[in-house]
Amino acid sequence: MTGEDLAHAFEGFRDQLKSYLLRMTASVEDTEDLLQETFVKAYNGLSGFKGDASLKTWVFAIASNLARDLLRAQKRWPEHVTDICKEAAMNNQAFFQEAMQIRHTSPQGNFEIKEHIAFCFTCVSRSLPLEQQLTLFLKEVYDFRVKEIATILDQTEAMIKYYLHTARKKMIQVFDHRCSLINKEGVCHQCTELNGIFNPKQKAQEEVVKIQMARDAESKSKEELFDLRMKILQELDPFQSPAAALQLHHLEHNRKVMQGYVKKNSS
Amino acid sequence: MRTLSFILLLMNLTTANAQLTSAKTVKRGFHQVTSVAIEISADPAIVWALLTNASDFSRWNSTIVSLEGDIEVGEKIRLKSTLDEKRTFKIKVKALTPEQAMTWGDGQGTRWFRITETEKGVHFEMEEKIGGLMYPMYKKYLPPFEENFNQWVLDLKREAEKISSTN
Repeated sequence: MTGEDLAHAFEGFRDQLKSYLLRMTASVEDTEDLLQETFVKAYNGLSGFKGDASLKTWVFAIASNLARDLLRAQKRWPEHVTDICKEAAMNNQAFFQEAMQIRHTSPQGNFEIKEHIAFCFTCVSRSLPLEQQLTLFLKEVYDFRVKEIATILDQTEAMIKYYLHTARKKMIQVFDHRCSLINKEGVCHQCTELNGIFNPKQKAQEEVVKIQMARDAESKSKEELFDLRMKILQELDPFQSPAAALQLHHLEHNRKVMQGYVKKNSS
Repeated sequence: MRTLSFILLLMNLTTANAQLTSAKTVKRGFHQVTSVAIEISADPAIVWALLTNASDFSRWNSTIVSLEGDIEVGEKIRLKSTLDEKRTFKIKVKALTPEQAMTWGDGQGTRWFRITETEKGVHFEMEEKIGGLMYPMYKKYLPPFEENFNQWVLDLKREAEKISSTN
C-alpha cells in the first residue's frame, strides 16, 4: 500500500468519515481538524497497516481514537439538551436573524423535518456514554459489523454488543418519551415548530406524514421506529444536504450553548 | 401466530427455569442466608457490565426500582427494591474482582455475586447473608426473598443472552 493508494481509498469514504466526526464532535471546526489529522496519521503510519482489517476500518480506528482523545475531556450532554438549547435560542434574537439569513440566501438553507430529526439525534445521543455513542453510530449509521467496531474501538466483541444494546435501549426510551412524531404524548415538537418558522406556507402535518417513521408510529414497534430513525441518518450527509447550512448553524449554536451549560453545571 | 409466540415464550421460560437453581433460604440462630444460581449463555464481560452499570439496572432488572451511584470499591450506592419500594438501602461496594466477583454490604447484611466462566458462558451465583445479634428480634419482619432472587437472576440471564445474540 502506497501513500497514493491511501489517498485514493480515503477519498472513497471521506464523506462518511467526515459526517461521523461531525456527529461525534458536533463541531465543524473540530471535524475539519480531526479529518486532516486522521489522514496525516494514516499516511505517516501506513507501514503499521497490516491488512488484518479493511483500510476503511483502520482509518476509522485512527479517527475514533483522535475523537476520543478530544471528547474524553468534555462533559456529556443531558437528555433534554434540545430543551436547554431551545430556551437559549428563544432568548437570542441574533440566532434567528442569522438562521433566516441562511434560509433565504444559502443554496443549502432549506428546512426539512427529516434533516432536523438527524440533527436532533446527533445532539441527544451525546447524552450516552462516549463509547456507547461511538458504537451506536458505527453500527447503526455507518453499517460496520460488531467485529469491525471491536477493532475500531479496541474493545472485545462482547463489550461492543453490550454498548450497542444499552445505547439502543436508552435512545429508544428517550425518544419514546420525548418525540411527538412517534408518541402523541411526546413533549418535544421542535421540528414541526421550526418548520412553521422556516416554511410558513407549509402545513406541518402534511410534512410530517412524508416521514416514514412518523407515518408508521402507531403500527410499528419501538425497535422498528428506532431503525427508521437510524435510516434517516444513514441517508443524510450533514455537509451536502440541501439543509446543511441551516442545520450546521443550528448545531454550532447548540454546541456553544451546551459548552456553557456543562461548564456552569459542573463548577 | 399468537399461539406460536406463546409456545415459544413458554419454551424459553421452561429452558431458563431448567438452568436455574432456585433460591433457598437457610435460617440459623443469628442469621439467614439466601442463595440462588443460574447458567447464562453469555460472555462474562457482558454479565459483568450489566452488574456494574448502576443507572441501567432498573431497565433490565424487574426487582429493582432504582440504583444510584457508582459501582466501584468503597463507593456507596442507593438501592430501591420492589421488596420495599419506600425504603432506600444505602449499601457499600466492598470488593470487586472484574468479571469474577463482587461484594455489597450494609450494617445488616452482605451480598455476594460470583461469576464462573463455563464452556457455554457463565455460572452465576448470588448469595445474601442477613443477621447479627438483633436478628432474632427482626427476622419475623423480613419478607421472603426467594421469589425476588429467582426473578433477579432470570432477568440477568435474559438480558445478558439477548445482548450476546446481537449480530
